[in-house]
Amino acid sequence: MADRYSFSLTTFSPSGKLVQIEYALNAVNQGVTALGIKATNGIVLATEKKSSSPLADPSSLSKISLITPNIGMVYSGMGPDYRVLVDKARKVSHTGYKRIYNEYPPTRILVQDVARVMQEATQSGGVRPYGVSLLIAGWDEGILPEGDEEKEAEEAAGGDEKKKPSGKTGGILKGGPMLYQVDPSGSYFPWKATAIGKSATTAKTFLEKRYTEGLELEDAVHIALLTLKETIEGEMNGETIEIGIVGPPADHLLGVEGVEGARGPRFRKLTPQEIEDYLTNL
Amino acid sequence: MSSPFSINGGACVAMVGKDCVAIACDLRLGLQALTVSNNFPKIFQYGDNVFLGLTGLATDLSTVSDLFRYKVNMYRLREERNIAPKTFANLPFICGFDSIGCIDFAADFIVSGTATDQLYGMCESLWEPNLAPEDLFETISQALMSAVDRDALSGWGAYVYIIEKDKVTKRLLKGRQD
Amino acid sequence: MPGFDFSNYNRNAALHARGVPLPKATSTGTTIVGCIFEGGVVIAADTRATSGPIVADKNCEKLHYISPNIWCAGAGTAADTEFTTALISSQLELHSLSTGRKPRVVTCMTMLKQHLFRYQGHIGAYLVVAGVDPTGTHLFTVHAHGSTDKLPYVTMGSGSLAAMSVFETQWKPQLTQDEAVALCSEAIQSGIFNDLGSGSNVDVAIITDKKTTLKRNYIKPNERVPKLKSYIFKRGTTAVLNEKIIRKEDLGNFVSVHELAVEETGDKMEVDA
Repeated sequence: MADRYSFSLTTFSPSGKLVQIEYALNAVNQGVTALGIKATNGIVLATEKKSSSPLADPSSLSKISLITPNIGMVYSGMGPDYRVLVDKARKVSHTGYKRIYNEYPPTRILVQDVARVMQEATQSGGVRPYGVSLLIAGWDEGILPEGDEEKEAEEAAGGDEKKKPSGKTGGILKGGPMLYQVDPSGSYFPWKATAIGKSATTAKTFLEKRYTEGLELEDAVHIALLTLKETIEGEMNGETIEIGIVGPPADHLLGVEGVEGARGPRFRKLTPQEIEDYLTNL
Repeated sequence: MSSPFSINGGACVAMVGKDCVAIACDLRLGLQALTVSNNFPKIFQYGDNVFLGLTGLATDLSTVSDLFRYKVNMYRLREERNIAPKTFANLPFICGFDSIGCIDFAADFIVSGTATDQLYGMCESLWEPNLAPEDLFETISQALMSAVDRDALSGWGAYVYIIEKDKVTKRLLKGRQD
Repeated sequence: MPGFDFSNYNRNAALHARGVPLPKATSTGTTIVGCIFEGGVVIAADTRATSGPIVADKNCEKLHYISPNIWCAGAGTAADTEFTTALISSQLELHSLSTGRKPRVVTCMTMLKQHLFRYQGHIGAYLVVAGVDPTGTHLFTVHAHGSTDKLPYVTMGSGSLAAMSVFETQWKPQLTQDEAVALCSEAIQSGIFNDLGSGSNVDVAIITDKKTTLKRNYIKPNERVPKLKSYIFKRGTTAVLNEKIIRKEDLGNFVSVHELAVEETGDKMEVDA
């Protein structure tokens, strides 16, 4: 019965706007700032862990999540909505991909699947849009052999500009790092570096100044912390900052030896101690 | 009543060589003992260098090959790339499936169809590692032709594909028409 | 209508009764074993897959990954062991991500038995489940109908009797890791040589609380002697009626892709951004 009389809550205003989506974006823009930076050899995701009370136990809180071994995600906006999306993203990466092709989805496919979930919430009956923007970072293995990469890069660039030969530029064919933002409307954008949330504008201005082509992951982590420092309200330490990185495969985390072709996860979260170490070297 | 696996007849074989693979099929389509067609290929192409050989009930071959074409085309549109997982994209690779989906990852050869038993015998004796494309062609062709000559339900000529890194060679073989 | 639809099963049973033979599925007429030792558990398997009396695969893999610390050895219908273990592995990975805990062997065993019981034995998967989790070392067998056993040493498959005879004569409590690996290998070899459904090589997986080590083709007691003479045919032996070569660079003759310039006409689709 319920479904027969459930109409979409997101409807066009006479001026052609979907105000529910704009309200959802307002919720995002009140959220704690999160940012992502793509390097040649990885990606960093960073955010502040804000606790409203000194009595809160921050170690139990986690805002950056592993979706697949090579893909991580962070949000700005409503925490409960985010956790629903994390569950759905993990599930769809198995049901919609791994159980069919026996490999994890490439970043863009996962992003499209998550974006579809968010778009459906803007057109379905009885539901509201998700009050979050997401940053999704992942590394794709690519299907071209090592030698063909440069040739492919040249072709893609029309041969007019010589790309930096060492760095993989991301994407399904060449492989490499990818960083996407997904909004409540379901639209998604690839970025070299970006920020979402309360101080997104300030952070993006800062990133525009500090970002350079050919960045290494270590530099990216450094810039991420500097950017966070510009926008953060509380104290910066291992307990109040959360960092996730997509880096080289961590074969020691595999837990298995002797399986042909098995690679360790590329995504991992930095421990509070590792964050402290970066902060002291800032 | 006879098994759907042997009403129409047919044989397929694939082999690994040095930096190349080969796949071959016969051309017969039958209805029990009656030969209906001598031009019924059983190999289907799904990318620059991805081939699938199917044997069994002819109507199911059409259904399954069309379904796979649909799935592969959908994959290509969705992912903007050919269906070829990295590991296999640039390696000579073959595998076989039973009718319910058990994969046989073979380092040497795969056989299927009503001439399965004969093909196993031929391949087991003729195949050797590191055959060059030209030698692999002779080996797979002779294995298939000899096998189908001892299977009443297969034969009537054959197609042989030699798949190399940069090219695919398709040859039509002369076979007995009885 | 809730529940399963058995109409296809009934159709197949009726066809079978009228003399249509069953399709030949690849079966792992198999020897698989498992044995607990001090500090972990070993499972092992032979590598022969059969289709009726024909050897379909001489070196197949019967040790299936569930999670880094849980592995399965599979006997019975090869496709069923492959897909059942892959499904449970996937479900267990999602479960582990959402709970934030390492997967447990009992969880895996319970999911397997519930899945198999639901299908009343039609999924022909006979499994040895082994692993080490925070609650300790575990070794189970799961039968296709959903029954399970928990024992210090187990065997399954057509070679289970041959393998069990080795355990029953040589097993002792508190084995070391090396002794357990040797005992399991011996049990598998007993299957390889005494059971026609089993053959070729021995695969072993050793699971401890530290790590899992897979030893693919740990023992190869049936290596084929290389042919003394080559059977390569002289090039040009086979009569060819027709030849067509397609080179990668010529593919452009069959398909051409042109990027069209984007025309900036009318409104853009994106509302925000």
